[in-house]
Amino acid sequence: MKYAVIDKGELGRWFDSLKEKGKIYGPKKKENAFVFRQVKEFEEMSLLYTPTILPPKKYYFPQKEFLFKFKIDPFSTGKAIKEFEEFILFGVHTCDIAGIQCMDVVFNEKPADPNYLNRKEKMTIIGIECMDYCDKYASCAAVGTHVYKGGYDIMLTDIGDSYAMHINSEKGENLVAGKKYIREMTEADREKFNKAFEEKLKKFHNEFEGELKEVDESFDKGFSSPVWKDVGDRCVGCTNCTAVCPTCYCFDVVDEVSLNLNDGSRYRVWNYCQMDDFAKVATGEDFRQGRDARQRHRYFRKFKYSVQKYNKYFCTGCGRCTRTCMAKISLVETVNSLLAERRGK
Amino acid sequence: MNHTDQAFQEILKTSPYKPMKAKVVRAHKYTEHEKFFRIELDGKKELGHAPGQFVQVSLFGQGEAPISICSSPTQKGSFDLTVRRIPGGVMTPAIHALEAGSVLGIRGPFGNAFPLDKMHGNNILIVAGGLGIVPLRSLINYILDKRKDFGEVQILLGCKTPKDMLFGDEVAQWQKRADIKFNCTVDKADPDWKGNVGLITSLIPGVTLSPKQTYAVVVGPPIMYKFVIGELLKKGIPEHQIVVSLERKMKCGLGKCGHCQIRSVYVCQCGPVFTFEQLKEMEGECHEGECHVKA
Amino acid sequence: MSKPKVAFFEFTDCEGCQLQVANLGPGLLELTKLVDIVNFREIMSEEGQEYDVLVVEGSVASKHDEERLKQVAAKAKVIVALGACACTAGVNNLKNLKDLAEQKKIVYGDVDPVSDAIEAKPIDEVVKVDYYIHGCPIYGPEFLKVMECVLLGKPYKVPAYPVCVECKQNENICAYEKGQFCLGPVTRAGCNSWLPNHGSVCVGCRGLIDNPAADAQKDILEKYGLTVDGILDKFTLYCNSKKERAKYGKEFKK
Repeated sequence: MKYAVIDKGELGRWFDSLKEKGKIYGPKKKENAFVFRQVKEFEEMSLLYTPTILPPKKYYFPQKEFLFKFKIDPFSTGKAIKEFEEFILFGVHTCDIAGIQCMDVVFNEKPADPNYLNRKEKMTIIGIECMDYCDKYASCAAVGTHVYKGGYDIMLTDIGDSYAMHINSEKGENLVAGKKYIREMTEADREKFNKAFEEKLKKFHNEFEGELKEVDESFDKGFSSPVWKDVGDRCVGCTNCTAVCPTCYCFDVVDEVSLNLNDGSRYRVWNYCQMDDFAKVATGEDFRQGRDARQRHRYFRKFKYSVQKYNKYFCTGCGRCTRTCMAKISLVETVNSLLAERRGK
Repeated sequence: MNHTDQAFQEILKTSPYKPMKAKVVRAHKYTEHEKFFRIELDGKKELGHAPGQFVQVSLFGQGEAPISICSSPTQKGSFDLTVRRIPGGVMTPAIHALEAGSVLGIRGPFGNAFPLDKMHGNNILIVAGGLGIVPLRSLINYILDKRKDFGEVQILLGCKTPKDMLFGDEVAQWQKRADIKFNCTVDKADPDWKGNVGLITSLIPGVTLSPKQTYAVVVGPPIMYKFVIGELLKKGIPEHQIVVSLERKMKCGLGKCGHCQIRSVYVCQCGPVFTFEQLKEMEGECHEGECHVKA
Repeated sequence: MSKPKVAFFEFTDCEGCQLQVANLGPGLLELTKLVDIVNFREIMSEEGQEYDVLVVEGSVASKHDEERLKQVAAKAKVIVALGACACTAGVNNLKNLKDLAEQKKIVYGDVDPVSDAIEAKPIDEVVKVDYYIHGCPIYGPEFLKVMECVLLGKPYKVPAYPVCVECKQNENICAYEKGQFCLGPVTRAGCNSWLPNHGSVCVGCRGLIDNPAADAQKDILEKYGLTVDGILDKFTLYCNSKKERAKYGKEFKK
């Protein structure tokens, strides 16, 4: 679509103008980390942040999501799809936007998921471009999510004393329309913008010791690799890596009954392939035993199965799984070990 | 997004999680642990399933459980389920508490089905071990109702003891029919048992069907596959004509929740029916018994 | 149909779990619409004699406890173990670390006011338990959830996954990131990460998950500068019953 520019000093004013569109969620500081929370005042946000503990996933695929109400006797079900309110995600990194794009593919695949799609309809995404690495755990350049590739309504890029705004949808267009403090991008702005981009690219490098094509091959051949035993031996099974992943979408379905023992609701709740009993059936047979097999499954879901199924890498390089792992299992190291093994052969 | 506008609006309005209301019209115990249910959907609506598919049985307050459909789609106005009670479990004891007149929720049918299109015109060898007869009853009754669409048909049935035999009344009928061959074996006989004793694999060498024109459909516990498939390959039945059904933890039935995944395959959508040729590609992630063949 | 009768009995414990029940407020009032509470020392004085559901708090730590538990259990249709002491013997296990005679000497000197004392044990070593509500103290909302299951006649599955699952969903900062030592990764969930939500670390009061990765956990602790002794000390407080020890005993040697 088109580019616009807003002075940094005016960003708060623009933020205020967004409030009438719906609730705004943005990155806030929490001790030494960051979390997405509802933001009432612009100043509450930290726009320069390392990826939040949980990705913004919690707003479009909540930890516990209502499906429908029921009555046990007489058997009846309530309205299943709730009307959701418009909301805005403000300051989303490109890695997390890539995560949303992955979820889009999953929940659009037939049978499509009305809960997700309904929420998605109400969601406005205002992204912010990272001009440098957030920390040493990110591997966004390896998977190409350090630069933006759609999936947002407006993208903000820091070009010094102002932000360039890439307006990528009609929704985005409406958010800037009629604002006098937002101007068309001038030649001078464009120069700054290009320069900033050039400078940024110099800072990022492929974090993997091989191109994606090679990573792909190493996963093809790496199913029985000793790498998985090593990872499995170190894994304590806390499930954090899957909880924080912007592209993990496994869930369980549970019933909750109120204390009258007749009315209740069915929910879906996050569930993780790293859980001990994730693939265990009622008769007791466990179809994915061992932390090594479970970790391998996690990696394959990011680098192989999703490619086979959706032609898409489901690793966004956000680095959360590495950052959160108390056993210090590193995604980059695991991938590099696979690559090294492949080359050794 | 690939949806047309109208189709998309439809999707947004309906929840695939909401079960249909259904009623148990008949219930009886076949064995100590297995109970049979005949079920009608509200308004006698057809379930519209194919042999090999399953439903999610939904009991509000308890949850959901994936259960194979054991009746043929040629049975109109109702469908059948047979459920083994797992002590200490949540769902199966609750399902066993249902009696004629009980109301329950049904979602589905889910999954692919036995490849009837390809099976038409061919010989059919059915190998059922233990609870494997449950989904296979659907196929057997379908074949019997459409008998002329298939070549020679042979059924091999194995169970632990004569007491564990399911669908005894129907098995007796199958035995009598002249247009199919039926063999049965038990691991352990009781004094009244006059038939074969031994593992189901012992029946396979006696199969006389010409292998290249035969589809073998095998359903049983994972460990059975290992031995049965080995015998079938020895017979010369091609890998893509050996068909099995896999058990997995299936929660949503929609290919989303992840529990039933084998490598990149969601069993609830792409399965539960696979050919041995497909199983081999899932090696390493599928159960040892399912894809490591003991010849 | 008359309402099921529920009785609370306490054995060797602090009655803190019953206090959690008493503190449930509206939830408890809702519950009393469905059941009659016939014996509950924390909130009522009169004692009823008949009951269907027996809620047992506390460990068995004396011969008297053992006999009394058998007696009160004989009348019940359903038995619920309430709290760490009843479920795993909780902190009462500490007394088992030393020989009983030696322990008595340390505590009482030359007198012996508890001549019938025995090694502390969870109640399921004496009677068959149908429902477990772990924790020291119990987590109120879980108590209500379990009572719902009791009334619906449905088993309650204690989460098999660790506290981290709940903690991460609550977006707490990981204790390990703060250089603290937390038992969350090996402790069974169900408390909605109660302690970490309030800035504290998990102390393992709900007992270990069924399949704790003891070796991996040890590596982690060493990585964070903790000694094996220190780790065992942490486990000792709550995870010291025979059942719990068996889970890490094989791999988790000094």
